[in-house]
Amino acid sequence: MKTARRIPLLKKMLAQLGIEDERVRLDWVSASEGDRFARIVNEMTEQIRQLGPFSNNGGGENG
Amino acid sequence: MAKPKLALYWAASCGGCDVAVLDTNEKILDIANLADIVFWPIAVDFKYHHVRAMEDKSIDLCLFNGAIRSTEQEEIARLLRDKSKVMVAFGACACFGGIPALANFANREEIFQTVYHELPSNSNDSGTTPLTKTEVAEGELELPELFDTVLTLEQVVPVEYFVPGCPPPVDLILKLVDLFASGQLPAVGSVIASDKTLCDECERIKEEKKITKLYRPHEIIPDPNKCLLEQGIICCGPATRGGCGLRCIEANMPCRGCFGPPPGVTDQGAKLVSAIASIYQGDNEDDIKRMVEEMVDPAGTFYRFGLADSMMKRKRLHKR
Repeated sequence: MKTARRIPLLKKMLAQLGIEDERVRLDWVSASEGDRFARIVNEMTEQIRQLGPFSNNGGGENG
Repeated sequence: MAKPKLALYWAASCGGCDVAVLDTNEKILDIANLADIVFWPIAVDFKYHHVRAMEDKSIDLCLFNGAIRSTEQEEIARLLRDKSKVMVAFGACACFGGIPALANFANREEIFQTVYHELPSNSNDSGTTPLTKTEVAEGELELPELFDTVLTLEQVVPVEYFVPGCPPPVDLILKLVDLFASGQLPAVGSVIASDKTLCDECERIKEEKKITKLYRPHEIIPDPNKCLLEQGIICCGPATRGGCGLRCIEANMPCRGCFGPPPGVTDQGAKLVSAIASIYQGDNEDDIKRMVEEMVDPAGTFYRFGLADSMMKRKRLHKR
């Protein structure tokens, strides 16, 4: 239950720091849902691939 | 025997750290007896060229306050590092970026836009902004260049010790001086403060941490005896190093985090997200939504003094 509260608050903070919402995802998967687990991991991987590598400064100077 | 040489400098800071040194009152005379002050822009009339003329490592102790956000500050940090045996990051700005590092939520262009063009109190019809080089009849004038990103001292030069605080309390300043004078300085990298969290040192009555509403300090008059966090006031005590003497807590104000993260905590802000979200009572979407709304400015609150030193260091820069 704590996680369900932490992640939305964390996401609000990450948005202020310029981090895309899609980089963090919270989902709930039961141990019996192997297919669903695999699908979510694949979706997430593909999403991150499309966003590209994360760099702190967006390629600017003076880090 | 010659007295040890002491230098003090301010970079991106408010001057409060220098005042804190003067707040040692009559003990300042002990410090002056103990050491020769060879450089201290706020109080003593030595110039940069005097420091440049010194031999390397000829300053025994340098107390450096302020963050680094301009070419001048970077240059003087490097100069003082070369000239000093022991470099101390003095105060929250030198240690973690401090209040100036809140500028890391913007970049240089945005700051110039706000400060020189948009502020309603401005009278700048010609749209003048500072340039690093300006031609005038007498020759070329130079100004330091502002960085996009405010840095901690340690991100620029190696640092031996850290004295946190906004400003550092007098007892820690005197502790540092005593340790230095008696040759008992701790291991390099030590933080001259407590190894506990502020909560560990706080003497307010603590019961069960369960809150159902977050208050900003101006929205509530807190009970002076009870844990502020339990009253719903955001207090950074759970993820802030102690040793400050509980100055804010005793004034009935919550901790704002100026002593930085305690030992074992990498990211003060992330830790505070975890702490606040843990004690907020609610298990449905409405409760969670309400909590997120009540936490008006999480990044600015949880990284008030520590943004430059955090894992992210700044809001991401997106440049053309």
